[in-house]
Amino acid sequence: MMPVSSRPQDSADRIYFTLVALIGGALMIYFALVPVFGLNVAFHFYLMLWITMASAFNVSSGFSGYLPFGYVAFYGIGAFTTAILVKKAAFPVFLALPFSGVAGLVLALLFAPTLRLSGIYFGIVSLALAGICRLVITNMPEEITGGSFGLQLGSRAHPVQSFYVMMAVMVVALATILWLSRSRLGKALRATRDDADAAEMMGINVPRVRLYGWMIAAFFPAVCGGVEAWYTNVVDTETAFNTLITAKTVIYAVAGGLGTVTGPIIGAVAMVWLDELIWRQFPLLNLLILGVATVALVLFLPRGIVGSILRRKPQWRRYVP
Amino acid sequence: MELLILNGIVNGLIVGGIYALVGVSLTLLYGVLRVVNFAHGEFVIAGSFFAYVLFTSLNVPPLLALPVAAISFFAAGWGLYYVLIPRLSRSDDPELMSFLMFYGVSITAAALMLLLFEADSRSIDYSFTPISIQVGPIYVSTARLVALAITAVISAGLALFLFRTLPGKALRAAIMNPEAIQIVGVDIVRLSAFAFALATALAGVTGVLVALVFPAFNAFSGTEYTIIAFIVVVLGGLGNPVGALVAGVLFGLAEQMATVFLPQALAQIVGFAILVGTIFLRPSGLFGTSTKK
Repeated sequence: MMPVSSRPQDSADRIYFTLVALIGGALMIYFALVPVFGLNVAFHFYLMLWITMASAFNVSSGFSGYLPFGYVAFYGIGAFTTAILVKKAAFPVFLALPFSGVAGLVLALLFAPTLRLSGIYFGIVSLALAGICRLVITNMPEEITGGSFGLQLGSRAHPVQSFYVMMAVMVVALATILWLSRSRLGKALRATRDDADAAEMMGINVPRVRLYGWMIAAFFPAVCGGVEAWYTNVVDTETAFNTLITAKTVIYAVAGGLGTVTGPIIGAVAMVWLDELIWRQFPLLNLLILGVATVALVLFLPRGIVGSILRRKPQWRRYVP
Repeated sequence: MELLILNGIVNGLIVGGIYALVGVSLTLLYGVLRVVNFAHGEFVIAGSFFAYVLFTSLNVPPLLALPVAAISFFAAGWGLYYVLIPRLSRSDDPELMSFLMFYGVSITAAALMLLLFEADSRSIDYSFTPISIQVGPIYVSTARLVALAITAVISAGLALFLFRTLPGKALRAAIMNPEAIQIVGVDIVRLSAFAFALATALAGVTGVLVALVFPAFNAFSGTEYTIIAFIVVVLGGLGNPVGALVAGVLFGLAEQMATVFLPQALAQIVGFAILVGTIFLRPSGLFGTSTKK
């Protein structure tokens, strides 16, 4: 039973959960109807992919305070896991996708010692490890990874099915992060990010909390990689380990605002939409504008869209997921 | 086999000299400004394209392009500092945000070079006479030897500047204690702008040398040099210019020897492995004494 004194908290919670239900419901209905009404499936597939990637990245950088500049490693491993299992071991796609997630978790465990590092050291090492992953896969025997030609999944492509699978992944990711933001683990992560020594003093198992956060952040990009491999039907090291994947993830998450659940969603929606507009108008300038947008974001909106709003209206913090 | 090893050593010294310059400029920048220039490699490649344009359109030989690049890049760096850095220091976590911002600068610079020069690899079709010189039992291209001599001169000049002149001492002091140096009356903003401009100028000059030593470069080669610069900086100890110079040469030697003894795929991984290993085993660098975080 809730004590009577927490009534204001109760009403804040009510607004919070109403907002969650409204935003979540609207998102789900909208995306579920995309194929039904014949909207642009590819655009919305990638929109959901980036929402998932940016939200998962938020767990690592927003909640835990790490900036993994080799984030693409998880995505690439996931893509290759699905492709290899489907192509070489004749797994059905639905069975292969969970293994992508597992591969992401295994890689996260392998990289776990890097969590001892902080700040730029972590970023640099993460970048180097992603480079190692790419080189290792590029140099694996051609029978397994397809060498420089990559792997083609054959006639398994099914855009609408993979669209709904991507949607399921996004919903699970957002639900996980929503849970995380209010859970004991999420609070422990934030406390550890702000002051690891103080958190430890309060009885938080700092290494374990960091590891859990890191694994959540690694799981979803790996699954995203698998689903995207299925969607596009082809995987190669150039695209699966492209640093632009890290770049876009980081930029979208930062654009929305790290540390909130809605931030990366709003950031991804705004930036993917902007990206699409630019892409259509000036295909050559796409990369340039992405770069300039990043610089401008850091200089003029370092807290992102949601972060800036919350700074102006701190009292909204209780209501905004 | 001995010939191969000798070749590895000579090439290691040449390539290492370039790595040393890339590293020392990045470490100066980090030391004074506490920002991590992710776009450093792109600045270097911009220097290569600078020499390329001067040579192909104005017929300026690369050696003459060196001072021109130094001056132009110095000016560009000075300007860039005032556009980028002052606003940055107002954010909650300047160090991490700097990483992010320079990530954007790196994408921007690569995209600009891609627009201007397309994705093809370029090289400067310039050769010295004679094309190669015999060093002991092996032949080395004159361009590479000239580049080695220039890196040696620049490194010596830089060391003299840092240890014998007042602005150089101010730079080193700023690396050691940015608060104390302001008490002594140094304008830290101007000094930082100078450090940024100096690092950019060094990057540009290094780029010209890259065009001399390496067969080709393209708009996306920058990332490679950024990572090499990180390796050298971490090996030498963050913010330690002399460490970076030594570490650059050592890393160049290690890399060239790796290509002699290991298959090419493994040789590429060696650099990354050195980086990760150093950060874990000796986070303060090869020559560091106190262990920072």
